[in-house]
Amino acid sequence: MRISFGWLSEFIKPGLSVEKIAHLLTMSGLEVEALETTPNNDVIMEVNVTPNRADCLSILGVVRELSVLTGAQVTLPPARIKTEAETAGPQIKVEIRNPELCRRYSGRVVRNLSIGPSPEWMARRLEDYGIRSINNIVDITNYVLIELGHPLHAFDLNTLKGGRIVVDTADNIYRQIKTLDGVERKLAGNALIIADAEGPVALAGIMGGASTEVEESTTDIFLEAAWFEPVNIRKTAKAFGLSSESSYRFERGADIEIIPYALDRASFLIQELAGGSPGEPVDVYPGKRAVPRCIEVSAARISRLIGTDISREDATGILERLGFAPVWSDSVITSFPPSYRLDVEAEADIVEEVARIYGYDRIPTALPASRLSVPEAMAKMNFVRAARQSVRRSGYSEAINFSFMNPLALDMLSLPPEDARRSAVSLINPLKQEESLLRTTLLPALIENLRHNLQRDLKDIMLTESARVFIKRKKGEQPEERLMLSGISMRNSTYSFWRNGKDEFYAAKGAVEALFDGLRIQDRSFSPSQEPFLHPGKSAEVFISGRRCGFVGVLSPAVREKAEIKGKEEITVFELDLDIIFENLPRASVYRPVPKFPAVERDIALVVDDAVSAAEVIRRIKDYPSKLIESAAVFDLYKGDGIPSGKKSMAFNIRYRAQDRTLTEDEVEQVHEGLIKDLLVHTGGNLR
Amino acid sequence: MGGQRKSSSLRESFLNELSPASSVPEIEELRVRYLGKKGLLTAELKNLGGLPPEQRREAGAALNETKEFIEQALARRKQELKELELRRKLASESIDITLPGSHVRPGHMHPVTQTLEEITDVFVSMGFSVEEGPEVELDYYNFEALNIPKEHPAREMQDTFYVSSDVVLRTHTSPVQVRVMQRKSPPLKFIAPGKVYRCDADISHTPMFHQIEGLMVGEDITFSNLKAVLEALLHRIFSPDVPVRFRPSYFPFTEPSAEVDIGCIFCKGTGCRTCKGSGWIEILGAGMVNPHVFEMVGYDPKQYSGFAFGMGIERITMLKYSIDDIRLFFENDIRFLGQF
Ligand SMILES: [Zn+2]
Repeated sequence: MRISFGWLSEFIKPGLSVEKIAHLLTMSGLEVEALETTPNNDVIMEVNVTPNRADCLSILGVVRELSVLTGAQVTLPPARIKTEAETAGPQIKVEIRNPELCRRYSGRVVRNLSIGPSPEWMARRLEDYGIRSINNIVDITNYVLIELGHPLHAFDLNTLKGGRIVVDTADNIYRQIKTLDGVERKLAGNALIIADAEGPVALAGIMGGASTEVEESTTDIFLEAAWFEPVNIRKTAKAFGLSSESSYRFERGADIEIIPYALDRASFLIQELAGGSPGEPVDVYPGKRAVPRCIEVSAARISRLIGTDISREDATGILERLGFAPVWSDSVITSFPPSYRLDVEAEADIVEEVARIYGYDRIPTALPASRLSVPEAMAKMNFVRAARQSVRRSGYSEAINFSFMNPLALDMLSLPPEDARRSAVSLINPLKQEESLLRTTLLPALIENLRHNLQRDLKDIMLTESARVFIKRKKGEQPEERLMLSGISMRNSTYSFWRNGKDEFYAAKGAVEALFDGLRIQDRSFSPSQEPFLHPGKSAEVFISGRRCGFVGVLSPAVREKAEIKGKEEITVFELDLDIIFENLPRASVYRPVPKFPAVERDIALVVDDAVSAAEVIRRIKDYPSKLIESAAVFDLYKGDGIPSGKKSMAFNIRYRAQDRTLTEDEVEQVHEGLIKDLLVHTGGNLR
Repeated sequence: MGGQRKSSSLRESFLNELSPASSVPEIEELRVRYLGKKGLLTAELKNLGGLPPEQRREAGAALNETKEFIEQALARRKQELKELELRRKLASESIDITLPGSHVRPGHMHPVTQTLEEITDVFVSMGFSVEEGPEVELDYYNFEALNIPKEHPAREMQDTFYVSSDVVLRTHTSPVQVRVMQRKSPPLKFIAPGKVYRCDADISHTPMFHQIEGLMVGEDITFSNLKAVLEALLHRIFSPDVPVRFRPSYFPFTEPSAEVDIGCIFCKGTGCRTCKGSGWIEILGAGMVNPHVFEMVGYDPKQYSGFAFGMGIERITMLKYSIDDIRLFFENDIRFLGQF
């Protein structure tokens, strides 16, 4: 809300600079965001009026607030008019058919006025508010709106048919109206309508109709001041996509008791600026004056919530200046907030009013004296932190992307129709089509991040993200949310002198294994992956405790092409479901005695078909029926000279140990010979 | 006298031969030549038997002394040569120690995560627990249970992404308050960090950002407590002497409500572009829990009071690191990420 300092000074003279006033308002809840000097040499305070303070959407409202803060007197602008009933002619008959939606409807006929330009002072003032001066009558309704905060509307009396006003909802009676902005609007449902004897003349509280618009030729008007129910105005304004200064105020709650004064004030200005003879006002107020709400609160409660003793004098003074007419009985204050403070409804509102006028700055700070409570384990948070840290330690930097996804991303990944990741939640009102789904995988965003960096000629891009993905359940229901941890890596310039020449796949798998090692997850396995976006020969499904928890692998050339990523270096990706991993974390370790007797190690080098995996061989070794085999591990892989093509040499280290004695060479040799024979038969390989 | 003379001439000739010896085998050769079975000194010792007794003792002592001298000289020289050889060998194995090490270079933590964890840790150290809630939230939890009914003007404060008429992307982390209060009874104190969404995008707004929500409920929780806890946090996050001010504001789910400002860290309060000349920067919103919210979750507002607060992590991070465009956080440019 823009508040003119010049205008405000007509109401109140606190004897303070505009800066000081701005500070006072800011520190009591009306934040002054900026001060602006206008071409007409006024200063405008840009006041941020929160939605609860509809009473401050006017010069008068801010003046009242300033009076509370400084104690300075408010002088209301003049509104005394000379009524000349005889010359006013027949009155308008008002009928409110829907008193819940229109609790009060007042108006006044003014005849024989002369439409013309507004005087300069008024035109300038409106100009400072960004309102174009139209003619004196329209300008006056705008002027009073800003000054007092109550919307008014002027109808051309001669186009108002049948001398009557009907206030009713559109329902099936009213079909259509052409509003002042020239738009034909279809009417239906609960939209509140102002009609004359023949049909709609205004969308109540939102915008007038074109048929009764005040024009150069207008001589007589009907001036309307009414109160419309906020929620209905809001719904109607929203339905029509129409928002006006008028609807903005009605939907936040206008002051029903200011209506007679607002009508008089506007009539006064009309007499001053356009002449004419105002008639007696009509005032239809079916529910009658609302009994002021009364709110009780104990003084102790105020002090207890604020945390400092507010004296009886302080509290009384504040509530009196606010116009709440406080009445004490014992230690309970009863307040009667004025009609314009619709936001003050209950005890907490009174506490807030006292605290805010008392001054938040004056409230001392005191740390809570709270009892110790049983600490929560926070296992999940620590787990997530550890997982993210492990991936960072493997070289990945953390990215954060929006949770949105482009529908085309699912095609880029070549996901089949039945893939769960196709079940994405879509937004009704996305900012753009590329952000119209919620992510079901973090991969597309990471691929996009990679591309962003490559386009800037950056190298060695390793990014990780951990965030939730959203899998649709039923339409309109909350989706399943799962926390994923993903990574993408494209290394171009890893120091050649450290590079071991192995496939990039192993670097990515290493990051996953390092994560599992850090979490002490032993029960894990990798098997060939069918993910359509991965290189079929360089990708793996990841299992822990027999449950699939994700994938790791080289991005398929087809996806690279679709994503328009150049370069020959392999791109690796992984995605793990942290929720599954968390559910399958091993329990705390139990100590097992360290072996008392030495182990004996033996190595085997096998030449086998390329298709034979190291995991298969190790499984076979572990399954071999001998209690002496303690462990087995692969330690070398060789292809090339001396090895037939289509075959490879793998070397395994086997460790033998007995729990109760030192093994003899003969014992070991016997088991080892048997094992070799078994492996050769099973793998169809040869010893190297 | 003959023994003495013999000894000193042996010593002399030995030293002459020792000085050019430059390898362990040469030293060994010398040892044999002098001290071996047929060595020069061994021969002299054998000759002692032919001398008269009084000369024999004198000459024997002299020869033994020389023998010891030669043994020690040989040992010393041998040690020197060994060390020399080792040095030579090690020198030949030199590598370029200025080449970088072969460790995996760790990646960087996103600055938003850093701030998030830092703030979380401050609260955890004050005994707050950490809670979570869904990002795709029911309208009920995001609005209605927080005293924001449908058609309430406060809904305009937050532009909402809709999934259906009853399901939204949460616009704040506040629904976690309601979910936790429904599940647990007071007293309680927790924070809820997470992502939130607003249908809004420009230089200072992104459609997704991070918030930390906090709630403390007990029998005597006051506005004074709220001030103290948040002041402690801001002093930890920024600096112990940063000015903090509370001014009245409005949130439907708190009452009284406050907006919390810190003294502008760029101009130290004199006024600059970041603080729009005011010397203050808005940093978070807070307030005493509105009794309506307590009623919605079945807490007795007469018995319990509490405070709640919420803060935007990106905003705090931008201030901490002087970042001027919020969109940088989500571009994931490695030149940006690598600075943190
Ligand atoms: Zn500044």
